[in-house]
Amino acid sequence: MMSPAGASGLPAKPLQPASTHISAAEIAEEFSHHHPSVARLNNGSFGSCPASVSAAQLRWQRLFLRQPDEFYFHHLKPGILCSRALVRDLINAVDIEEISLVDNATTAVAIVLQHASWSFAEGAFRKGDAVVIFQHAYPAVKKAIHAYIARSGGHVIEVPLAFPVSSDEEIIREFCNALDRAKAEGRRVRLAVICHVTSMPSVVIPVKELTAICREAGVDQVFVDGAHSIGNVKVDVQDIGADFYTSNFHKWFFCPPSAAFLYAQKAPTSPPLHHPVVSHEYGNGLPTESSWIGTRDYSSQLVVPSAMEFISRFEGGIEGIQERNHESVVKMGKMLADAWETLLGSPPGMCSSMIMVGLPNCLGVSSETDALSLRSLLREEFKVEVPVYFHPEEDKNHGVTTGYVRISHQVYNVEDEYYRLRDAVLKLVQDGITCSMILSE
Amino acid sequence: MAESSSPAALTLALTSQPSVPGMDPHHQDDCPENGLGRGNGETNGPPAKRSRPTPPLSPITAAEIAEEFSHHDLSVARINNGSFGSCPGSVLSAQAVWQRLFLRQPDAFYFNHLQPGLLRSRAIVKDLINAADIDEVSLVDNATTAAAIVLQHVSWAFSEGVFHKGDAVVMLHYAYGAVKKSIHAYVARAGGHVIEVPLPFPVSSNEEIIREFRKALDLGKANGRRVRLAVIDHVTSMPSVVIPVKELTKICRQEGVDQVFVDAAHAIGNVEVDVQDIDADFYTSNLHKWFFCPPSVAFLHSKKCSSSAPCLHHPVVSQEYGKGLPLESAWIGTRDYSSQLVVPSVIDFVNRFDGGILGIRTRNHDKVVEMGMMLAQAWGTFLGSPPEMCCSMIMVALPGSLGVSSEKDALKLRSLLREEYRVEVPIHYHRPKDIEAGRQNGHSGVTGYVRISYQVYNTVDDYYRLRDAVHKLVNDGFNCGMLPSK
Repeated sequence: MMSPAGASGLPAKPLQPASTHISAAEIAEEFSHHHPSVARLNNGSFGSCPASVSAAQLRWQRLFLRQPDEFYFHHLKPGILCSRALVRDLINAVDIEEISLVDNATTAVAIVLQHASWSFAEGAFRKGDAVVIFQHAYPAVKKAIHAYIARSGGHVIEVPLAFPVSSDEEIIREFCNALDRAKAEGRRVRLAVICHVTSMPSVVIPVKELTAICREAGVDQVFVDGAHSIGNVKVDVQDIGADFYTSNFHKWFFCPPSAAFLYAQKAPTSPPLHHPVVSHEYGNGLPTESSWIGTRDYSSQLVVPSAMEFISRFEGGIEGIQERNHESVVKMGKMLADAWETLLGSPPGMCSSMIMVGLPNCLGVSSETDALSLRSLLREEFKVEVPVYFHPEEDKNHGVTTGYVRISHQVYNVEDEYYRLRDAVLKLVQDGITCSMILSE
Repeated sequence: MAESSSPAALTLALTSQPSVPGMDPHHQDDCPENGLGRGNGETNGPPAKRSRPTPPLSPITAAEIAEEFSHHDLSVARINNGSFGSCPGSVLSAQAVWQRLFLRQPDAFYFNHLQPGLLRSRAIVKDLINAADIDEVSLVDNATTAAAIVLQHVSWAFSEGVFHKGDAVVMLHYAYGAVKKSIHAYVARAGGHVIEVPLPFPVSSNEEIIREFRKALDLGKANGRRVRLAVIDHVTSMPSVVIPVKELTKICRQEGVDQVFVDAAHAIGNVEVDVQDIDADFYTSNLHKWFFCPPSVAFLHSKKCSSSAPCLHHPVVSQEYGKGLPLESAWIGTRDYSSQLVVPSVIDFVNRFDGGILGIRTRNHDKVVEMGMMLAQAWGTFLGSPPEMCCSMIMVALPGSLGVSSEKDALKLRSLLREEYRVEVPIHYHRPKDIEAGRQNGHSGVTGYVRISYQVYNTVDDYYRLRDAVHKLVNDGFNCGMLPSK
């Protein structure tokens, strides 16, 4: 018989020896399942999960397989509630009823946008009412806007993001311009979808300021897509003041794929949010709806406490991790920019645990296809994993950097990995390799 | 085992690759880059006919089966395979290999392994269900998700004026609770009129079901109304009965029903599934219930988007939006797709049995009928339907003296059986209105039924334990009214 689950519904785990902070050797052990010969500089895309959290996940999975009915009636709900309570505290929400657990930010976006879609269908919003998004919003989010907003008759306004960017003011100015455009066209702005940390190119957006601007301008609702945020930048939902906020736990918060939260400020006047996958819990509030969307593996949502335990082994907890990641990635970014004689995509103050570093122009990144093939080449020939961003030239302004790498720093990274990237790019430059050569092979 | 997206190589991958990625992870990561690595729905040459087994030289033994399911709580008489399914150890091991492959180098996984793996699973499902084209097969989390996909499409049709307010959607009274809520959330909310087909229970023939269904369609078409969608279960959940879906679908076509959605959550691995023969517009079934997959994975069969067939969309929108439901469903953001990737490993497992999946479900059916009759005889009660209207599950009436007088009682009795007798079996409460009809058929006093399942890991002893538990309760004069009200 398995060890009985505790009051919180968590399966018991082996006792840990008392220790101070986690050591470098222990960190390496926790991530020893990573491919040993890959310079893994892309934590941003798919995240990472330490072995101790994976082990906790396995215990939950085994608990279900052992006696699923018992799991469903006795363990699942308390476990989800426990995770939600921790999230509430983590992000400084007021009430646990504001916290739902979902698969990922992509799902959270579908929830919020389907809600807006119903508002159009049911006449609460009128055709032509506007939704504001960033031009550099994540591609999936842009498609969701098309699928739910444009399809319903909503008007989409895109806010351009200057890149490279040098100050918050540039971003705020463009955002205000977009709101002014809406006003000039006599459009009511029903929803603003604001990234907290953009994906490609990656920049930290001043969401608190933008949310305040939205309130002043009479925007109905603000939705912050913080997919990269939790564990990467500070998240205080009361301080930011948005209506909805989502972030993925599997990117920077050491959870297995996949788990995310959707925060929804309690708003008695608006119709409730619903999970698009409807179960018998429909109508019991989004948190409860999301906690049961049919038989599936909920274990990645149940290990949030285990992820927090892992984090607590680090000096300064998650803040300490965030700070050190940020410092390291800035240091490595500058090292690369110096070595390649290029530039950073934004000042350090506008970066998180990721930073954009310009690639030498002679590599000739002139399209998204080029960027992908260069990324593949780096993966296969040099065993360096790093996403490559293609930045279109404006007005064919020659000399403008068109290719960037987005480097990440997470606790498992070591400096040698960045030197390998440095040297790989220097070699390509030395050998006169261009992206058009890679494609023609 | 080089993978690439060239046609010859893809065929090779489908036919000769082992069911799990190579055990040499270093070699896997050295696979040549295959560009975007996206399966785009094309198959080149017939995929492996893995679902038709050659008879195993020596079928799996009882001891091996016990080993495969040794992770079950062995002190529990587990006679509820229907609710949450089951997954053998060898498939769980295969799943772990996929999960570790992702964790090891997720970018390489995303670009090189995920789409070919999903395509392979889809190809197997296509053969399993006799679909005409792999583009008709999407993999989703579960039937609940499939229902949301179909019903969201109906909702758009109402919003966009393709359907008109008051147009009807027909569903069975015994439709699964989640599906009923989904119909409310998407159809009723959008202005559709919902009609429930009452089903007799206990039921004794397909004709009874067909008769009620026709009446409901007439109601749906009353006052010149259109019936836009019929949602028909293939195997109802509670109470569990096999519905004549082929006949009902034909009637729908005859009566001008626009579209038919068969919710066959329980079907695959349990009853025969031939989607061309049934000829519905949409058909979904869970692979984790009776097809040995881990939680959770299901398929949704739907015709390719065209002028005559609607474009379904996954409600979770990714950058794959607009490329057809199979591709949309193959990437809905970062998550664990491993349960969808182990379908080939499940085929390996079922092929170890005499007769493969057909052999398994035939034997399951025979055994559950045998056990059902044993219980009915022991308790002096009866079966909820004749054996030919059952699958690997059967409803057995509980002695009336137990006094199951509400759904709450049914749940509490179920908990009692779990906690005191370590028997896991779901209980169905039979409402008073139905009891009146029952009384006329000589079924007086019965208000509760157990739904027993039989899967390869079950033994007759599981059912004797249920028999004896109920006997004891009856002998002790137990009545649900005695249970605490909390």
